[in-house]
Amino acid sequence: MSTVGNKVKIKYFGSEYEGIILESSDKNMHLLKLINGYNVGLPKKGSKVEVLGKSRIGLKSDFAPLSKNKLLPNVALISTGGTIVSRVDYKTGAVHPMTKPRELLGKIPELKKIANISVSAPMSIFSEEMNQEHWSKIAGFVARELNKDDVRGVVVTHGTDTLHYTAAALSFALEGLSKPVAIVGGQRSSDRGSFDGGMNLICGVHYANSDIAEVATVLHGTSSDDYCIANRGTKVKKLHTSKRDAFRPINTVPLAKIYLNGKLEKHSKCKLRHSGKIKVKSKFENKVALIKYYPGMSPDILKCYEDYKGIIIEGTGLGHVATTTWLEPITNLIKKGIFVGMTSQANYGRVDPYVYSTGRSLSNHGVVYLEDMLSETAYVKLSWVFGQTNNLEKVRHLMVSNLRGEYSEKSHPNAFLY
Amino acid sequence: MNYGTIGFKAGIEIHQQLNTNKLFSRCESKLTKDVPDTLIKRKLRATKGESGKIDIAAVFETEKNLDYIYEVHNSNTSLIETDEEPPLEINEEALEIIYTVCRLLNCNIIPFIQIMRKTVIDGSNTSGFQRTCLVGTDGYIDTSKGKVLIESVILEEDSARRVSEDKNAVTYRLDRLGIPLIEITTVPTLHDPDHIKETAEKIGMILRSTGKVKRGIGTIRQDVNISISGGGRVELKGVQEISAIHKIVDTEIERQQDELAMNRKVGGEVRNVKADATSTFLRPMPTSSRMYPETDLPIIQTNFKKINSIKLPELILARKERYLKLGLNEELSSMIANSSRNDVFDKITKTGINPVLITTILLSTSKEIKRKLKITSWSFPDKFYIDMFLLLADSKITKDSLPEIMERFTKGETLEEITKDYKPISDSELQKIVSEIVKSNSKLPTGALIGKAMTQLAGRADGKKVAKIIVELTK
Repeated sequence: MSTVGNKVKIKYFGSEYEGIILESSDKNMHLLKLINGYNVGLPKKGSKVEVLGKSRIGLKSDFAPLSKNKLLPNVALISTGGTIVSRVDYKTGAVHPMTKPRELLGKIPELKKIANISVSAPMSIFSEEMNQEHWSKIAGFVARELNKDDVRGVVVTHGTDTLHYTAAALSFALEGLSKPVAIVGGQRSSDRGSFDGGMNLICGVHYANSDIAEVATVLHGTSSDDYCIANRGTKVKKLHTSKRDAFRPINTVPLAKIYLNGKLEKHSKCKLRHSGKIKVKSKFENKVALIKYYPGMSPDILKCYEDYKGIIIEGTGLGHVATTTWLEPITNLIKKGIFVGMTSQANYGRVDPYVYSTGRSLSNHGVVYLEDMLSETAYVKLSWVFGQTNNLEKVRHLMVSNLRGEYSEKSHPNAFLY
Repeated sequence: MNYGTIGFKAGIEIHQQLNTNKLFSRCESKLTKDVPDTLIKRKLRATKGESGKIDIAAVFETEKNLDYIYEVHNSNTSLIETDEEPPLEINEEALEIIYTVCRLLNCNIIPFIQIMRKTVIDGSNTSGFQRTCLVGTDGYIDTSKGKVLIESVILEEDSARRVSEDKNAVTYRLDRLGIPLIEITTVPTLHDPDHIKETAEKIGMILRSTGKVKRGIGTIRQDVNISISGGGRVELKGVQEISAIHKIVDTEIERQQDELAMNRKVGGEVRNVKADATSTFLRPMPTSSRMYPETDLPIIQTNFKKINSIKLPELILARKERYLKLGLNEELSSMIANSSRNDVFDKITKTGINPVLITTILLSTSKEIKRKLKITSWSFPDKFYIDMFLLLADSKITKDSLPEIMERFTKGETLEEITKDYKPISDSELQKIVSEIVKSNSKLPTGALIGKAMTQLAGRADGKKVAKIIVELTK
């Protein structure tokens, strides 16, 4: 009777409501889409339902088959999920990933004029579900595409919450990167006219066709739809929960500004496109952790990490914790062969072990100060480094080496709050 | 014109802004003329609706490929209006007002209300949709030509204000975006332009009776749907002046008749009414595929117990009748019944003071003083009026001193300080002073004597009393 999709007339308290039954999250309620488009809920108790027929409801995935234009570059799109490929489930009202990411291309017809885009979808998950295994898998997909001679570059679509972690992971996992990799997301879902992912994707494809050979996030540069900024994958963070321009460069300026028409302005030195195969080093260790220190925090937490290979402590200011209570347990971890790295929760600036005695003492006991590397990047890097070697000397050496632009040689005067 | 023979059918849609904060943010609903703090430039794209179809009206707008420029004022705009943050839960005050309106319009109220996104991509909504929800259906009002059925009562966000446009871009100001708007739609059974006018006025009166709606230009807007035999429905948008309805309707009927005579299809379009009562094509009529649920907000369960306990306001018409009985004339009754000061008026009349005097002070004297002193953004507090009239009722001041007291109050003095100077003179003292004046100006005519006495008494005595004494003395 109250089957989803049925056309019905419901009588309730002197009113008649004609429409189509939708899936209701409440067992005691008929959710009805009226002829005028409004959804209303009616209590089942007291409702008289008359079935008028069946209706077809739901999104038809109608999109034109992708035809190749020989004059256009080939760009591979790898879809992993997130808002950018989400759509509204009209039956439940919830937001779900698209089942066919090619639908996304149907929404942005401009793309057809910019590149031939092939789509693969190794996964479709919200980005908070991402872990090391997903990073490995995505890295494998990206490398396979990049190593095809006719592919100019890759665009990865990703949920924004942890997009910057994956950007760092891909930066480390793709050794000898010779082509561009853009990671794009959206802060507004694709069902709305104000979908921001459309421009991000267009600019991402422009980036993938550029001469920059770096992993970069490509999202809005401002609240306006005027240009995107490409930020180096190891130097970027989501600094706002909901704004379009949430992804900001940290301790640096963007690699480039990219406009809708394809104009690309470089703003920093970057590695350039060259020939050469990319090596995938996609093993990540998950026995590593990132801990945020806060005033009054008990060092007991460190006991949880005794069987870990390494931890990054996001300390205060220049890289501090309360040495009165923390120095001993940290020293014990290091003695057990656990790597301990220090970054700052200030986001901007460099940690420094020499300014205060606290830092000196931590550093003297083996805590490795990670300069201006972002905490998130340091965590991902540590996970990757332990994926490559278990030799602590090598780990330490790799952690302080500038492998993928994760360290700034000099602190850029314009970088703060860019 | 004989509207009966041409198959004339008309319905109206009334949009009324509520006098509350915005519907889904907590920003003030305040329009501004200031220089914007920021400008944001955006594009919008057409999207598929729930049924998998792209709304025809939406496609029409996307094809224009315009830039939309938004003027942002920090005083009345948040990230919700700039489409940079999810909406907050619906404004409870606005919800209570629409429940009240639904009851006044004899509507059934929807038990579970789902907020919808109505696709609007002419740029007037930063998100590309307008948040809207159906609250009431199946109501009615009585008119001189019978019952007019109310199809729906809807609560929605007002759109952004169009400020300017050129070939490539339209500029909107975000101050108006998100102000709660009640949309009331009648069933298209209105007989003729007079009936449209009467219905619109009655609904307007009911809305104003709540005391919670905005007043002034642009705060209420009417759309009229018109069809005649052989054609479909045409929506005329932006009928600002209800008095022009006759001309607008007749002009549109003639246009439809001309089109039909040339075998052209009529209907399915929205037209914009111009100042000369003609109209221009605006866009195709939107379809139901433009609606889908607002996924960022939960379904609202209607609390019928609470709705039934809402105390319904007295309708302005009933109030006016009451004031006529108090002895006010037609004009004054109507003025004070429509005024937001009717509450204060009711309180003051209880003191037994002449209602004509109260109305004059509340509506005219206050305006005159403000005009004279060039005061625009301030008005007398209700409490001031009540306290002042209480003093008058207790004979602590005289009615002739009221304008002066009011004027001094605007300058920051307290009522207590001011009234010290206006203590009425006792009858015996008054007799003495007036006798003196008459004695020393014995050559003056009566009128001039009264004038002189009043000036000298500086509002501390009742004019009538003074006149009476003078008349007796000069007999």
